[in-house]
Amino acid sequence: MDPLAAIRETFFQECEEQLAELENGLLAMEAGDTDPETINAVFRAVHSIKGGAGAFSLEALVRFAHVFETALDEMRSGRLAPTNEVLKTLLRAADVLADHVRAAHDGSAVDEAHTAELAEELKALDPNGATAGEESEGEEDWGDFEFKPMSVDVPAAPAGPSGWRVSFKPRADLYAKANEAALLLRELGRLGQTTVELDASGLPALTELDPEAAYLAWTVTVTGDADETSIREVFEFVDGDCELEVSPLAAVAAEGEASATPVEDPGETLDIGALLARVQAVAEPPSPQQVPPAAPAPAAVATPADPSSPPDGQGQPRKPEAGATIRVDLERVDRLIDLVGELVINQAMLSQRVMEAGFARASGVAMGLDELEQLTREIQDSVMAIRAQPVKSVFQRMPRLVREVAAMTGKPVRLVTEGEGTEVDKTVIERLADPLTHMIRNAIDHGLESPEKRAAAGKPAEGVVRLTAAHRSGRIVIEVADDGGGINRERVKSIAIEKGLVAPDAALSDEEIDNLIFMPGFSTASEVSDISGRGVGMDVVRRSIQALGGRITISSRPGKGSTFTMSLPLTLAVLDGMVVSVQGQTLVAPITAIVETLLPKAGDVHSLGGSARVIAIRDTYVPLIDVGMALGYRAGPLDATQGVALLIEGEGGARAALLVDAIQGQRQVVIKSLEANYRQVPGVAAATILGDGRVALILDIDTIVAVSRGADSLRAEKRLAATG
Amino acid sequence: MPAAATINCLIVDDQQTIRSLVRSGLQELGFKNIHEAPDGEEGLRQMLTRQVGLVISDFNMPKLDGLGLLRAVRAHPPIQKTAFIMLTGRADKDLVQRAVQFGVNNYLVKPFTVAVLREKIEAVFGALQ
Repeated sequence: MDPLAAIRETFFQECEEQLAELENGLLAMEAGDTDPETINAVFRAVHSIKGGAGAFSLEALVRFAHVFETALDEMRSGRLAPTNEVLKTLLRAADVLADHVRAAHDGSAVDEAHTAELAEELKALDPNGATAGEESEGEEDWGDFEFKPMSVDVPAAPAGPSGWRVSFKPRADLYAKANEAALLLRELGRLGQTTVELDASGLPALTELDPEAAYLAWTVTVTGDADETSIREVFEFVDGDCELEVSPLAAVAAEGEASATPVEDPGETLDIGALLARVQAVAEPPSPQQVPPAAPAPAAVATPADPSSPPDGQGQPRKPEAGATIRVDLERVDRLIDLVGELVINQAMLSQRVMEAGFARASGVAMGLDELEQLTREIQDSVMAIRAQPVKSVFQRMPRLVREVAAMTGKPVRLVTEGEGTEVDKTVIERLADPLTHMIRNAIDHGLESPEKRAAAGKPAEGVVRLTAAHRSGRIVIEVADDGGGINRERVKSIAIEKGLVAPDAALSDEEIDNLIFMPGFSTASEVSDISGRGVGMDVVRRSIQALGGRITISSRPGKGSTFTMSLPLTLAVLDGMVVSVQGQTLVAPITAIVETLLPKAGDVHSLGGSARVIAIRDTYVPLIDVGMALGYRAGPLDATQGVALLIEGEGGARAALLVDAIQGQRQVVIKSLEANYRQVPGVAAATILGDGRVALILDIDTIVAVSRGADSLRAEKRLAATG
Repeated sequence: MPAAATINCLIVDDQQTIRSLVRSGLQELGFKNIHEAPDGEEGLRQMLTRQVGLVISDFNMPKLDGLGLLRAVRAHPPIQKTAFIMLTGRADKDLVQRAVQFGVNNYLVKPFTVAVLREKIEAVFGALQ
């Protein structure tokens, strides 16, 4: 990538941050934040986007940002009051600005009419009406400024034989902490050519010598390209235990007469003395997080130099600034994750071999292996954490959605988000956007009542949709809750009966009725409004959550609202699996799908003719699927009493029991894609390698259930696939 | 007439994009020692720990804005005579006038070309080698 293209990418990344800051600032103001720094930050966000856009000649973006900036400037200077109405317009303008940024990034089109409309609204906000004209005239007619003549120091940066003089005098503490001056001097020698002078003048006569005191000092001249930071870094660990002075070798350019007398501006209150004192207090020793030197950042690894500055000592709550970060190609991270996966498998194999070789548990080898296992787990967790991102990136798209849906439905809505910092795998986040969008639309469109109905029920006119994320026992739980009327069970049931999803006389519990909305075919185009989607129902939401290895449940209270709860794995690279045996094969079933396990009794299993069987579990019958037959490992059915049944819940809440020969145990397995290494096999989701080195297939429960249901077998589907 | 490579530069701007653009311009002009700071305070801190010959600073920044940084620099004898060029987001005459009052050496309006950057730096230092 050429440097300019790389900077352009940086610009768009920064735009996203600034757009988020803009929106958050405006939302904070809407919630009553009157801190002038908030409006300043909002103004700066738009100003920065405009500035950057100008550098890349993004005309349309610059034009809209300019109008926006002008309105914000009015507000910043107090000429425009931040009323709710004004803020609503500004929030919508922020949405349009976001559209423009995205359009400039990917070349898509923007809604010109909508832009023009918002631009007019922004101009109308301006009490003077005139300022939001075109960009100011330019600088041609300014005349020339008289820059005060002043001599400018040009301190020699490494010019000619440049270098540093390092005076180093250890204190006794340095030695007491087992540091060695010689090692530091040697380290210094790596930074360039050094001349070392020893100052032994402090050394007393032998009789007076305290062996634990420090008497020596050195002066080292380092010539070469080393910068001050790297020199100071050598002494990083003895900081405070020595006297250290680093001064440049090349003499500072001759001081000219100080002709520039700084002007004190009576009108402004900037306590320069206090500022200098504060900055100086943290300036020494120099912060180790200096911006990297001149080398241009390679395209793949750009360093957004945002060195988190040391606390300013005023006890103000500092805004959580992004620390030093590095941008890395996702491919590299994934390769690392793959390798760590291999490492975990290898370590497990090694452990097993050592056990088999008959080493005692307390032997050095076995204990060493235990430590290795611990370390491997930690490495795995840390590597996974690299892929983890806060859910904020998807949560922050929701306020805009809420604004739009609220405007379309005419229902005032407040979105409350919590736990945006909760981290989860990047892929999970990406695939959460659609289901979440759909659920939030639903919550406003179907969940919340009209303002009139709310008033009649004694609720505030403004509905609340709550979006929260939290970690719970190794999974992430995301909830979408509304304070609306709750699920209208009468209506849901009658729709389900009408659509033939349940028998007219079926006795359903409240929970069962609520779950009907997840049934495929429950939501159809005829009753889908503009807002809640294009023929997409909750069954699709459920399927996408399940595809991520998650589950979704609903709880609803009449008159109080509904809560959808999604529980998702933190990563897609490892899976909690139940390892089972089937006809001598080892298979893995995802634990998330398993509701319970049971040992079938002879009287509970009933044949339905052919190989189809059902098993009675408490009051209901569920199909009993012989996994061995379904996957073609054996021709005839296994005697159910000889095996174990896994009660599972598949797509659409359908239950079935999988019959396997035995359960080996429960363990975390590393997922290996079968498609990438072989090809797709119906009934098999992926593969993994077990501790003993055997490959085990991970079952695709939904396919097995779906196919077995149709009185088909997977073999039939395979035949179809082979001929098709 | 200093050689560009001998001048230590410090770019102060809260926007990474602008810092990168200025850096790339300076590199094109032969500058080798370029440092960056995301706000005025961090810029000042860096000036106190390493010798800086040229500051190119944005005006509107969090914590300490460009004018504040300029005033602090001119008020502190050890760094008082550092060349200071102010970056402004728009052609704002009032702002430049105030900066001139506080002893700015030149100004640069965004977006700028490398030629303009060169012109402004040479106006301060004389022709670059």
